[in-house]
Amino acid sequence: MASGASPSSSATRSDPHKHSTTSQAEKRAPASKEVAAVIDSLKKKLAADRCISIKKRIDENKKNVRGITQSTMRSCMERGGGSYKDGSDLLVKRQRDSPGMKSGLNASDADKSNNHSSFLEDGNASSTTMVQGSSVPVKISLRPIKMPDVKRLSPYTTWVFLDRNQRMTEDQSVVGRRRIYYDQTGGEALICSDSEEEAIDEEDEKRAFVEPEDFIIRMTLDQLGLSDSVLEELANFLSRSSSEIKARYEVLMKEKEVSESGDNQAESSLLNKDMDGALDSFDNLFCRRCLVFDCRLHGCSQDLIFPAEKPAPWTTPVDENLTCGANCYKTLLKSNRIPANGTTEDKTGTSSDGAGTKTTSKFSGKLSRKKTKTFPSESASSNEKCTPETSDSENGVQQDTNPEKVSSSSKVKASGRRGGRKRNNNRVAERVSRRTQKRQKKSEASDTDSIATGSRSASDAKHKDNEDATSSSQKHVKSGSSKNSRKNDTPVEDSKNSVKGDDPVSQLNAVASEPCSDGSLRKEEFVGENVCPGGLSEDKSWRPLEKSLFQKGVEIFGMNSCMIARNLLCGLKSCWEVFQYMTCSENKASLFGGDALNPDGSSKFDINGNMTNNQVRRRSRFLRRRGKVRRLKYTWKSAAYHSIRKKSTDKKDQPCRQFNPCNCKTACGKECTCLLNGTCCEKYCGCPKSCKNRFRGCHCAKSQCRSRQCPCFAADRECDPDVCRNCWVIGGDGTLGVPSQRGDNYECRNMKLLLKQQQRVLLGISDVSGWGAFLKNSVSKHEYLGEYTGELISHKEADKRGKIYDRENSSFLFNLNDQFVLDAYRKGDKLKFANHSPEPNCYAKVIMVAGDHRVGIFAKERILAGEELFYDYRYEPDRAPAWARKPEASGSKKDENVTPSVGRPKKVA
Amino acid sequence: MSKITLGNESLVGSLTPSNKKSYKLTNKTQEGKIPLYSVAFNFIDARFFTCFVSAGGNGINLYNCLEDGSISSLYAFADEDKEESFNTASWACGVEGNPFVVSGGEKGIIRVIDVNNQKIHKSLVGHGDLVNEIRTQPLKPQLVLSASKDESVRLWNVETGICILIFTGTAGQRYEVVSVDFHPLDEHRFINFGLDTTIKIWSMKEFWTYVEKSFTWKDDPSKFPTKFVELPVFTASVHTDFVDCNRWVGDFILSKSVENEILLWEPILKENFPEEGTSDVLLKYPIPNCNLCFIKFSCDLFLNYLSIGNQEGKIYVWDLKSCPPVLVTVLSHNESNSLIRQTAMSTDGNTILAASEDGTIWRWDAIDKEQAVTVEAKGRRKGKAQLK
Repeated sequence: MASGASPSSSATRSDPHKHSTTSQAEKRAPASKEVAAVIDSLKKKLAADRCISIKKRIDENKKNVRGITQSTMRSCMERGGGSYKDGSDLLVKRQRDSPGMKSGLNASDADKSNNHSSFLEDGNASSTTMVQGSSVPVKISLRPIKMPDVKRLSPYTTWVFLDRNQRMTEDQSVVGRRRIYYDQTGGEALICSDSEEEAIDEEDEKRAFVEPEDFIIRMTLDQLGLSDSVLEELANFLSRSSSEIKARYEVLMKEKEVSESGDNQAESSLLNKDMDGALDSFDNLFCRRCLVFDCRLHGCSQDLIFPAEKPAPWTTPVDENLTCGANCYKTLLKSNRIPANGTTEDKTGTSSDGAGTKTTSKFSGKLSRKKTKTFPSESASSNEKCTPETSDSENGVQQDTNPEKVSSSSKVKASGRRGGRKRNNNRVAERVSRRTQKRQKKSEASDTDSIATGSRSASDAKHKDNEDATSSSQKHVKSGSSKNSRKNDTPVEDSKNSVKGDDPVSQLNAVASEPCSDGSLRKEEFVGENVCPGGLSEDKSWRPLEKSLFQKGVEIFGMNSCMIARNLLCGLKSCWEVFQYMTCSENKASLFGGDALNPDGSSKFDINGNMTNNQVRRRSRFLRRRGKVRRLKYTWKSAAYHSIRKKSTDKKDQPCRQFNPCNCKTACGKECTCLLNGTCCEKYCGCPKSCKNRFRGCHCAKSQCRSRQCPCFAADRECDPDVCRNCWVIGGDGTLGVPSQRGDNYECRNMKLLLKQQQRVLLGISDVSGWGAFLKNSVSKHEYLGEYTGELISHKEADKRGKIYDRENSSFLFNLNDQFVLDAYRKGDKLKFANHSPEPNCYAKVIMVAGDHRVGIFAKERILAGEELFYDYRYEPDRAPAWARKPEASGSKKDENVTPSVGRPKKVA
Repeated sequence: MSKITLGNESLVGSLTPSNKKSYKLTNKTQEGKIPLYSVAFNFIDARFFTCFVSAGGNGINLYNCLEDGSISSLYAFADEDKEESFNTASWACGVEGNPFVVSGGEKGIIRVIDVNNQKIHKSLVGHGDLVNEIRTQPLKPQLVLSASKDESVRLWNVETGICILIFTGTAGQRYEVVSVDFHPLDEHRFINFGLDTTIKIWSMKEFWTYVEKSFTWKDDPSKFPTKFVELPVFTASVHTDFVDCNRWVGDFILSKSVENEILLWEPILKENFPEEGTSDVLLKYPIPNCNLCFIKFSCDLFLNYLSIGNQEGKIYVWDLKSCPPVLVTVLSHNESNSLIRQTAMSTDGNTILAASEDGTIWRWDAIDKEQAVTVEAKGRRKGKAQLK
């Protein structure tokens, strides 16, 4: 809205007689006249109400103000009449003496009028004098008292310290905003904005109905009834569409009914909530790259990338005699045979301790917070199992169906099925999850530990492994009734059929789960047996959320009811219940089916065996390829290396490319976003580790990754302990099972940004101009000094901001890559104050650290303690300011300038 | 500006003067040709209600308004550095009641002048750019807020010279902060306005211990643990354009942007959601020809009247107590035709000073109704109407 227009437009709006409306109404059906009249009267009423309410509020405020000002006045009086004696106060004295100090025309005037002491006449005289034209105003000459000069500070903007880069938030954008800049020479204000951006798309905004509008709608429609002409008139009046108004009226009516009928029902129980909804905040707020909530760098609502390869369920050696509590299925199974053996051990702690690994905690932590169901979405929003695995398991189902072998596994003490131990369990579980959470800080993608929670029973389940038995989880399903639980509408037909065919009556279920992961080949087997008497009824009592949690549990722990009950369902279901549920065939089928079907969270619909078969095939192909890749793994001839090399060498011409993880499910092909974008796949990508486009890291040892010999270094990347073979940080004394100390000389020196191993930088007055950055301790050549942090802004945004910065001759912009520019103007660290020099002692380098580009400042030569830091801003030749221009300044990368403006902005005239 | 929705219209004042109160020009004084940016009466100490300070260029001048309509000069201060150009001046006082004048300008250095001793009490260094406005907390006149181009607002204790708090950060003002004002009653609260068109209300409640500490601080002021306040309690865009002056009126806010009008509005704070606060614009005071930045209005101590100059050298006086707004009078003079940056009203509203771009200070005094008539008649006789 134009500034000039606002008063007038608001004036018309507040005008109670809306002539336009009425005149338009007259042209239409006679009814519309009536409508208009009604609306008009309502409008008047509203305006009057508003007027009254404003008056009331103003009056209230008036009283308020009176109180305030009186108290202020009081305090003023106190101050005046207080401890200070008039005589000692020079100002008072001066005030008294001042009449004599007046000079000029007015002085004589005033003196005269003092004698007269007639205000009117004085005023008269004075104004006459003025009017009659002392065009020379009174000059009061008083020798000014000098204020000693104080040196001004070099200009800066109060800035926010950042220890890592941040992506610009929407509200920080200057695009579309008006900006003002006081020109230093012209004394005028420049408005820096683009006219085409001035247009605000107000029309697009869907305006919420405000109360007065509701009032008018309700009253009008109540009075005149709901008809098209009335709606139209209303729409016209409120400048909305008539359908909108109709909808609103219905809403209003409903609200009225509700309010009349009394309280609306209480909130739905947390447990009935949708798992999808519950997980929503997690998916939106948790950054899977930085492992923090509300990540400032990658932002919220990132694309969810699920690794194609998932860590297998966790396997721990399980003591069969170990029960997880009073309701442990082992105990209860036993009790079916040997009744009333009431010893229940609480040894759960031990097994759970061993269990402490990454995925566990992550999932348990996450899931225990969420409450919901819906399988497709649920599996979409969490990490899936490797789909091929599960499909293997489907195969397995058909092959091994051996009920007998299972029963042997359960020789456990029995106990009454009471919840007596539950509390204990809960506590243990909590402790475990907390501990594990602490311990594990790695990303899921890199996590190849397989977690088998299952009590590995000694049963002799046979299973067929594919190829090298990498993976196959097998299920022996043998329960008859195939109740197709409707929420798990993803039963795998194959397995179901086979189950049916086998022995529909048998209540024994054997489960052998064979988890697998790429890195580790594992053969774990779990065979559980269950007498599942009330299977059906039990099933029904499971709430959707519990079911989803159970599924998650299976993903994490495998078929281990103890772990699932303890970590995910504590307080909800006992181990025994979990076990029963688990052993019901449908659940199992659907469980794995569900997993198989949603490999990436996008294809939620393929629901059956066909699909799984496909996946089996895919899997085998994949495995073959895997073998090849492994051979290639450390060869430098791999394509990925090549392209990176190239990039690093000619990056002078071409800025680095921003990395965004791809969501490929198989090894990346032509459609891979990373490939298209010209970046390598990183550990955050969905693609399997064997992906050819992945950066493989280095396997330097002696070189410490400090030269171009190291592929990481050569590619301007930092080493990544998750990727590189020999690069890690050794902490501790080796007691925790890490490899023994390698000695300092072998430690990777290419992880300084990651580890924040920076030098102390001091801020001070520069020897050159403005502020400067100084080094506290001496460093040797090529030492990493610190990171240049700032806001990540788009190039478009940077151009906009740059307009002002250039005028102020001070810019903190730094080209980062093809998508982003770092701006340290408002947020940054002390290195932003390092000045430019054509003969610098530092250099800046854009380095890829864990998928993000960051700017490191390095020593170009040996720098002594206390020296000021300089580096070459490397302005683009055509953009460099005069002082930074030099013949060889052809570098295209750096673009930063801290020269403070010396000019003095002026006020608008 | 939040779009005016139905039923939330504000009452707009009419530009026809009611002439409830009349003023006559009684004096004018000129120090030089340097534009004056600021003029302010002392509202701190009843003894000095007639004293005012003007700032412009590198000079700060103290005057006394005599009852007879004349102006006497009390003190003049000048910065040794000719580069300095003061933008703002405010009265304050020390813990013992000794009057201070606090002023700041282009250099970003805030000068605290001990008037009785005729010397600099402190020079407050810290702002990274020019200072736009300084305001004194009326109940604790040792506390002073300064709004700066460096996007921050600082709270100072002028007695000890300590920078207590810095209000800035991600949620702070995005460009220059132009105006700032203490809440009259809630000493923890103040507002600021910036060139990014937003208005923010800040609270220093959580940091009040630091404020108290600043009074007893004996060590070097630079060692004081200055705190950063990053989150305002309220943020809103009431205007679409730059806002350059604001005042609390009770719990309402008067604010002026370069849109030729002053708004009186109520901030509706939402606990814990500073970004979601809304505003309800109640009254509008149109000011013709007043769309330049850095024209400031002023009110009397009792907030009965508001006066503001415009580009043509006219002064508009509005009645703040009436609703809908009533324009009291428009002051104009044929020689006063350059931009008036700031006006100052005396505590009782009977004297209005106007600091103009050409370095002149104009003094207008109120006259009683019947006297006004006479004056007007006389004026007309001479063919030079002073009152419009």
